[in-house]
Amino acid sequence: MITMRADRGRLWAVLGLLAVMQFAIRPRLGYSQVAPDFLLLALMLYSIRSRPGAAAVAGFLVGLAGDAVTPARVGASALAHTLVGYLAAWGRAVFFPDNLFVNGLVIAVGVWIRNAVQALASGPSAAGLTYPLLVYAPLQAITTALTAALILVIFQRWLDIRLDS
Amino acid sequence: MAPGSDRSLSRRDNALFLLCVVLSVVMLARPEVGLRVATFIRVSVLRPFLWMQERAEASRTTRAAFERLRAERDSAVYAALFLPSLRAENQRLRTLLRTRDRLPIPYIPAEVLHQSQPTDGRTLLLSAGKAAGVRPFDVVVSAEGLIGVVREVDRDRSLAWTWMHNEFRASAFTLPDKVFGVVREAGQLTGSAQLLQLRGVAIRDTIHNGTLVVTSGLGGVYPPGIPIGTVIGQAREETGWERIFVVRPAASPQDASQVLILHQTTDTSLARAFVPDTTP
Repeated sequence: MITMRADRGRLWAVLGLLAVMQFAIRPRLGYSQVAPDFLLLALMLYSIRSRPGAAAVAGFLVGLAGDAVTPARVGASALAHTLVGYLAAWGRAVFFPDNLFVNGLVIAVGVWIRNAVQALASGPSAAGLTYPLLVYAPLQAITTALTAALILVIFQRWLDIRLDS
Repeated sequence: MAPGSDRSLSRRDNALFLLCVVLSVVMLARPEVGLRVATFIRVSVLRPFLWMQERAEASRTTRAAFERLRAERDSAVYAALFLPSLRAENQRLRTLLRTRDRLPIPYIPAEVLHQSQPTDGRTLLLSAGKAAGVRPFDVVVSAEGLIGVVREVDRDRSLAWTWMHNEFRASAFTLPDKVFGVVREAGQLTGSAQLLQLRGVAIRDTIHNGTLVVTSGLGGVYPPGIPIGTVIGQAREETGWERIFVVRPAASPQDASQVLILHQTTDTSLARAFVPDTTP
């Protein structure tokens, strides 16, 4: 069982590091559509340690930041991230055993849901979503999940989680 | 924790969630409100982060890489050329530089700050703003062809709507036959957001596959002669009063890393600036 005795200071340090990585490291990786989304990863890490209300607000703020830099349809990103944050916080009781694979899987699903909700909310129709949802979103989900696994392994003491071998 | 207290926390959680959803929906329903909020966040909270991204982007992209390589001795360049990715980057840079040499109107070079959102590509955040002289409705091109048009300008950055945006329209004609039409994204028509459609073609006109489509200059925003794409087929006509052709775009907003922002419109055709260079 993952213990939730997180030291908030160290948790915030990891979240801050992920935010910096989103803007300083991610552009260097190239392949923008499939590169890991460090901000969403930070949101998921925060959400699974917080109450659903706080996770929804965090999701809204992260989404708003996304809307600010890609305002194809302002509000779509905020809505998508709010849903993902809220669901991740509610789902932790069901989905978060102390297993790295399951953690990665839940984060991957979170990425896919975010992309699907945002793409659908951006309209004008569901047409043209085949590639974004069936190719790019799964690839981005995989890269983000792998990054999450790496972060969880490296920072497990800081995040105060105990992963079963 | 007492059951009553837990219930009240749960109620508060749901209330916060609903509030966030309502705020998101308000911004979706009232884009003008959302855009104001987005602009405020971009120029305030996100400013240092975007500065960081700009630096990262510049260090990755060809312009910075090429400037660094050019400053080094021939041996280093020779060694670098054997790396496939750098060779591809250099090739793109060479193409871009020649385009810039030939453009007869003023332009501003800019880096594209790609984001992780699935809608990245419909809009692009560019690293040049008011300070560099960018203005709304300046045209954005890459070495391959038309990318879009600037819609919002901050001090240091600007926001462009690309041809993938559902509100993008450009008057176009084919070369060499000069069959006119209007170009827009073809998501609904083809199921692919990566294609364009040329609509409004007169029923008497026929366009063969492989025909080049360029901007016509009508409308006063896009200068004539900028490549948009090539025709790859005809779509099913619903009304019977026009022909619709599917166009494969010349330039991909999602892959563009550097662009040129044309600072002034012109009646002179820019077609010569986009003629492919011979391979060195």
